[in-house]
Amino acid sequence: MRYFDARIIENRALGNGYFSLRLGGCDSLAASRPGQFIMLRGDWGRDPLLPRPMSLLSVAPEGRADMLGRSVGRGTKLLEAALPGTRVSVLGPLGNGFPDPDPATLDLLVAGGVGMPPLFMQAEHAARRGLVDRCEMMYGGRTSRDLVLLGEMRALGLAPHLSTEDGSVGRRGRVTAALEARIEHHRTANPSHKLRIMACGPREMLWAVARIAEPYAIECHLSVEEQMACGIGVCLGCAIPARSRPFRYACSDGPVFLASDLVIPPAPGHANGGTP
Amino acid sequence: MTAPAADGTGEHTPPSLIARCGGIEFRNPVLTASGTFGYGKEFAVLFPLASLGGMVTKGISPNPRFGNPAPRICETASGMLNSIGLENVGLAGFEAEKLPFLRSCGTKVLVNFFGTNFDEYVECGRRLGWMDGVDGLEMNVSCPNIKAGGIEFGRDPRVLGELVRACRNVIEKPLWVKLTPNTSDIVALARACAENGADAVSVINTITGMAIDARTRRPRLATVMGGLSGPAIKPVALRMVYQIHRAGIGIPICGIGGIQSGLDAVEFFLAGATTVQVGTQNFIDPASSERVVREVEEFCRQNGISDVCELVGALEIQR
Repeated sequence: MRYFDARIIENRALGNGYFSLRLGGCDSLAASRPGQFIMLRGDWGRDPLLPRPMSLLSVAPEGRADMLGRSVGRGTKLLEAALPGTRVSVLGPLGNGFPDPDPATLDLLVAGGVGMPPLFMQAEHAARRGLVDRCEMMYGGRTSRDLVLLGEMRALGLAPHLSTEDGSVGRRGRVTAALEARIEHHRTANPSHKLRIMACGPREMLWAVARIAEPYAIECHLSVEEQMACGIGVCLGCAIPARSRPFRYACSDGPVFLASDLVIPPAPGHANGGTP
Repeated sequence: MTAPAADGTGEHTPPSLIARCGGIEFRNPVLTASGTFGYGKEFAVLFPLASLGGMVTKGISPNPRFGNPAPRICETASGMLNSIGLENVGLAGFEAEKLPFLRSCGTKVLVNFFGTNFDEYVECGRRLGWMDGVDGLEMNVSCPNIKAGGIEFGRDPRVLGELVRACRNVIEKPLWVKLTPNTSDIVALARACAENGADAVSVINTITGMAIDARTRRPRLATVMGGLSGPAIKPVALRMVYQIHRAGIGIPICGIGGIQSGLDAVEFFLAGATTVQVGTQNFIDPASSERVVREVEEFCRQNGISDVCELVGALEIQR
């Protein structure tokens, strides 16, 4: 983990508030793992005050680091509008990351909306090791405008299973329905395959993924998002209820957790839902 | 004033930053505030802690506490609210897991502590006071007193005085008290501490506040209310430091509240603080406390100040 200044070298609008940021000067992020994140802040004076946690989308050896953002609040709106050349401060890489791709395992990567970057990076890592056929991407959003960087995904050799809630592209419905369908497919077609799930997206999506994985006893890794101020386990703001102790911290214990270590709430309207 | 160098090079000797505050001599007057610096180790990979005057640990209670449900923090205009819930590893966990590092961290260590009743405060303070590697103690009196309907111990000068006296009687090491700003008379609280044996007061803890999400009609913190910190509270903190200093209570003040730069720290010195603590800024810029030290030194150089102590209470008011 290092604390350093970097510069925005490219800021690409992707529509619907999404933007991809490319930073230069991030040599110390070169060894980052998929799922790790940085705390990013511009020269914003005193307001907004806190740095923003941003998942890494991709890192390259020449000091390049890519992120995907969506302008939802003041900080992300400032980042969306930031011009190339803008100086930013970076603390990272932070957090633990997803497990390495494994030739003996098929990884089902479940991405919801702006939670896509760590799964893209996981697929990229797999591709660099010649294991892209050992991962399968499921990517969902409200509409087609929530699914971005599809060309980049295909360039990795992925054929993402898309779903949108309005049916504007891919399968109509939630990405979790696509996940269930793919699990059933693999259990029928390749019953001997070891499956593993890695997911990042809205909280309700993550809980649904955990509830789907549990009866199949599929190892399930969830990357959670939580409000945080420091990113290094000091402010204790990003507490999430866990099984191994009352709370764990998204920044310093995560952001990737085994679903079996988190307290997964029962499905809405289901009195006995959820993992035991 | 700045003294010329004895070797005749024309170089000036560096200003003295040494600060004596509340029974401890610090290499410089910049400390880090409880709850914003963990137990030190998290920051030691970013800069040498020996560059700081000192650090104050996360608040320790006799038993471990697991804190409040999320959301625990929320950003506000030039500040943030928190309701962490005084989560900490407890006395035994502190001694076993945290203290070994702190003994060799190279800076002065004050341990912030609290209890949920008088006996817990006294027991916690007494045991921490014995621990090797602890240079001083800072009492957090912003905890709810269950016996008194949940009102903070530190809001009533009489209760506060009794609590400070009870702890003073069992603690030989320097004892500081971190005052709550949630009061109409900060001087009365500071005086109660001074009269009952405290060595210094830390001024201020967070200001109680809240934030609401209008669209969902819900509070932004799970506990509804929390403590406001950051640059938003600096004017309140400066005012309270100034009032206490002007009242002449006889013990030094450690100023806390929205310090982001050396200039901010100097403002606190001028208002009457002998030392300062950098708090929320540690989240925004984790190397900020070290930078504040450099900027204080730079300010002294540029303004011909040979000893940082010259600044304490040197506010000039035109009458």
